[in-house]
Amino acid sequence: MRLAFVGKGGAGKSAISGTFARVLARQGDKVLAIDSDPLPGLAFSLGLAIDHTPPIPDDAVVERKEGEEGPRWRLNPDVDPFEAVERWSVEAPDGVRFLQFGKILGDPKNLWRSQMAFRFVINQLPAGRWNVVGDLPGGTRQAFTGWGTWANTIVIVVEPTAKSLLSGRRLARMADLDPENPKRILAVASKVREEGDVEMIAKGTGLEVVASVPWDEELAEAERRQLAPIDFAPGSPAVLAVASLVERLSEEKVS
Amino acid sequence: MKLAVVGKGGSGKTTTSSVIARTLARSGKAVVALDCDSNPNLGISLGVGDEETERLVSMRQALDEGEEEHANNWDTLISRYGSDGPDGVRLAVVSRIDNPEPG
Repeated sequence: MRLAFVGKGGAGKSAISGTFARVLARQGDKVLAIDSDPLPGLAFSLGLAIDHTPPIPDDAVVERKEGEEGPRWRLNPDVDPFEAVERWSVEAPDGVRFLQFGKILGDPKNLWRSQMAFRFVINQLPAGRWNVVGDLPGGTRQAFTGWGTWANTIVIVVEPTAKSLLSGRRLARMADLDPENPKRILAVASKVREEGDVEMIAKGTGLEVVASVPWDEELAEAERRQLAPIDFAPGSPAVLAVASLVERLSEEKVS
Repeated sequence: MKLAVVGKGGSGKTTTSSVIARTLARSGKAVVALDCDSNPNLGISLGVGDEETERLVSMRQALDEGEEEHANNWDTLISRYGSDGPDGVRLAVVSRIDNPEPG
């Protein structure tokens, strides 16, 4: 299973993907949760106390030497992507491994090599060893400019608002533009409050809505307290909805 | 006044900017609202509508793909890439000449 969560900012990608990763791991599956947002994102939703983890070292990418063929930058040949994941990811609750592409602490320019390394490692990670659950930054900039190519399923998280629907439509279009990497594109309805919201999202995006995550005060409280929803409110309707999403998509997981 | 609204995704940047723009315009100020977001939704919150927002976005996309020339001055920029919204707010969906790194 290689699943990327995308959507408008604030739609609930981190809360849903973090909970998704934890639920999957509790079933005994190897789960790698990845975060390619330079702003705080997935760590808290997974239940890690701190947001910052050391980025992949700069020397994990090397520049093409004079006279060599190929792209200018590549993964250091001494770095095996599978070992890289083991080495540079950190352990989150339930045995989830967590790898992120670096948080901006100062000048973002300082991070570009480790971010490139992150991208190479994920894109070159052998299939079949990890279930990968990714939380991409909000909006459309990163989603399909080379940062989502590792995924085989794109889950677009959509709220019942005009702006979120418009973003969802744009993302669905973009996800469909790469004929070499055909992807399954699904929608998850988020912050659902009213009957009719799910239908509005299905209609507005033209996508199959595979889960409906209700608006949930307990989830909002978890966010206020910087706690993982699955730890703070394991029985809340939102967490149960994510668990049902795991169930729904479980046929393709790697055990 | 030149005001930039920034913040985390979903925190309310677009809604806040649109209300500021419309409120200023109602008090008689000439207001240009610039949408610099890679996922531009300001037109929706300003009340310009879905279709017109997408039209402005597709023009910027043509620009980013090199099919259009960048405007070389402010007036051309807001007339070519802009649209009149409610209360006389002029909305323009704009782009940097050099696209920043992803992220």
